[in-house]
Amino acid sequence: MRAMEDLIYADHAATTPLRSEVAQAMDGCREQAFANPSSAHRWGRWARRRLNEAREEAAAALGTQAVRVFWTRGGTESANIAVLGRIRRVAGEGSRPVVATSDIEHPAVARAAEQAATEGAVHVGIGVHRGELDMDGLRSALAQRPALVSCMWVNNETGLCLPVGDVAAECARAGVPLHSDAVQAVGKIPVRLDQTPLDMLTVAGHKIYGPRSAGVLVAPEAGFLYPLHYGGGQEHGLRPGTEDVAGAAGMAEALRLATAELATESVRIEALRTAVEARIRERIPGVRVRDERHVRAPHISSLAVPGADESTLLAALDMAGVAASSGAACSSGSSVRAAQGNDHASGEATLRLSFGRMNRAEHVDRLSDAVRDATARARGLNLEEQP
Amino acid sequence: MNTPAKGTPTSEARGETATRSRPSGRPERVLAAMSGGVDSSVAAAMLVEAGHEVVGATMKTFCYSGTRGNSKTCCGLDGIRDARQVADVLGIPHYVFDVEEAFTRDVIDDFVNEYGRGRTPNPCVRCNSNTKFRDLLARARALGCDAVASGHYARLDLGGVRPRLLRGADESKDQTYFLWALPADLLGRLRFPLGALTKAEVRARARSMGLATADKPESQEICFVPEGRYRDFLGTRLLPTHPALSPGPLVDPAGNVVGTHNGYADFTVGQRKGLGGGMPERFYVLEIRPRTREVVIGPKRFLHARTVFVDDLNWLAPPPRAGDRLQVQLRHRGEALPCRVVACNADELELSLDEPARPAAPGQSAVLFAGAEVLGGGRSCGRVDAGARYAPKTALAGCRPGGSDGTADEPPHALASGGTGLGR
Repeated sequence: MRAMEDLIYADHAATTPLRSEVAQAMDGCREQAFANPSSAHRWGRWARRRLNEAREEAAAALGTQAVRVFWTRGGTESANIAVLGRIRRVAGEGSRPVVATSDIEHPAVARAAEQAATEGAVHVGIGVHRGELDMDGLRSALAQRPALVSCMWVNNETGLCLPVGDVAAECARAGVPLHSDAVQAVGKIPVRLDQTPLDMLTVAGHKIYGPRSAGVLVAPEAGFLYPLHYGGGQEHGLRPGTEDVAGAAGMAEALRLATAELATESVRIEALRTAVEARIRERIPGVRVRDERHVRAPHISSLAVPGADESTLLAALDMAGVAASSGAACSSGSSVRAAQGNDHASGEATLRLSFGRMNRAEHVDRLSDAVRDATARARGLNLEEQP
Repeated sequence: MNTPAKGTPTSEARGETATRSRPSGRPERVLAAMSGGVDSSVAAAMLVEAGHEVVGATMKTFCYSGTRGNSKTCCGLDGIRDARQVADVLGIPHYVFDVEEAFTRDVIDDFVNEYGRGRTPNPCVRCNSNTKFRDLLARARALGCDAVASGHYARLDLGGVRPRLLRGADESKDQTYFLWALPADLLGRLRFPLGALTKAEVRARARSMGLATADKPESQEICFVPEGRYRDFLGTRLLPTHPALSPGPLVDPAGNVVGTHNGYADFTVGQRKGLGGGMPERFYVLEIRPRTREVVIGPKRFLHARTVFVDDLNWLAPPPRAGDRLQVQLRHRGEALPCRVVACNADELELSLDEPARPAAPGQSAVLFAGAEVLGGGRSCGRVDAGARYAPKTALAGCRPGGSDGTADEPPHALASGGTGLGR
């Protein structure tokens, strides 16, 4: 009924397909770098060399030094090590740590901070109101001398860019370490630690056409954090377990490509998004774009569709061959929309379209039409009808 | 989009695109309600096998947080996961529809209110009539589906001038007791693929299809009441000072106080009430009087009645007329009792049973049959006939006290519904 070329994948913020260049880089590890990098023999040396080459490549792409790049198995793991590892480290010194996070963090940070609070830390939220991070709230949080501030670079639900540079400056002034979850930022907007100096950074491979189980945590040094895993001491003990050399190689290649193509690809994607948003506004009365007046990463469009049933809207889109989501793909409900306040009336659907390499200019009209048709179906639904 | 990797979207594409030959009837696009249980899984699978384009749907009916112990039943989050897994095996899409708001309003609030009024609700009946099918049919229409299917053990005869709802072929599993309140105009767009099968056959099919849910246990609880502890559940929804949860007197039919109770929500009319203290006779709950918080108990013979009054009527067939001979079923898995229609108007139905029997507790369903066909039904209003030996002194015209029986010391809703939200 529907050929593959008629389908439109507009859910790049959920995940992306592996690029063939990345697959090649990973495949290249099979014969030469398959061994355990901890082994003393030549195969071990080859694997170790490939792992550290990848570390150099990743560091170069992120504007930092290789010694600060730690391999993890994904974004959630990086963020958990950053938040919980830092809090446990400070708690281990005997004081009661404070952790401050923005109110719109991904659960990988937010839930880790909640966990820290159950372990005795004080969790302080920094508000985000109508797209603006509360800088006064940040300053009063900093006055409590937190062990860590965590502020995401780009929000995963709306694409909102938080002023990480300003936050970094405030944190540096206060002498407080800053972690940023840059999972949705890398490859979409410039993320370079030599331009925005901060202490810790989380990056995930699969959002940038890299491997699913590879992540990077940038940190000052392993001793800055307590690990969450215990084992053979790999990654300076911060993330023990036999290293995934192919994953690291793939991640490094994905980072290299994302950085190299950032200027052209972000412009292309933003043009696509602008066109889709304009078409959808023409065709669907009442639709709003969330955080539209604020600086957004180019790939996410979060649409508020009044009067539409969200699950029916997404089902109808799927049946029409369009992949999209309501917000974060991996958790239900939106803490982000709740935290921002006034932005989510009941009876209003949220549709997150996120663009990337699988989208082309000729998708704009078809995608907009599909959203219009699905909206009509989800609005025509009369669930309150009585016989 | 790239060429699909080995094994990924191909099986789904098959389910979505192939028009297979079907023994009879034209292929339809059907929204299949999937609870994650074995029945609805097999129902969906049979539709796929018959060549229909099937879209799986699971309703998320209530907030699962804080009810982790309940996840084993078919409405828990595990149910959603199981349904999705079955849909993946069948190669059909699967969507989760959040109906929590409507379900809370139409089913849970009613459940709580009914207990608050000293009555015994059938939440599964309300869910079927007010939430499940109505909601799914609206979504089905929006998604271009022709019909909604479920795993109920019931049959539909769609060949005549009007659709007729018939008992399922497996008498021990028949679920028409829970379907009498469906709006008649929805019947034509429902499909019950299991209607001709026995439960054993359904399990066998599930196993032969390799469905993960093949050996899932039966769910007999109310889906939103964790572990059958309905009194605790009411405690989360009613103020602790609500009369239904407050102590009150146990009285005998003559009005003598014979003891106390901890809230009339613990009782359902017809339930056996042990009094302890070596009382010679077994006592049964005869009536609940919310205003005075009295629970009337007495010997079993006071429960039996010949006349049954039913209100809140719904008809799936032309309404009966005085003099018609029918059968009435007063509880899930209860016998269909032969009876005669004494009177029937838009609001109330009066039946005369051939043999005196224990009427349904107030609020419980009374379902009317002509042989295998479900004609409709209503709710027992608890009014008793003049011939009853026990004449409640507060009996009002219409709907209040009465006599009934479940049987023993089971919790009231076990008598009441015997089912969970999606499965019944």
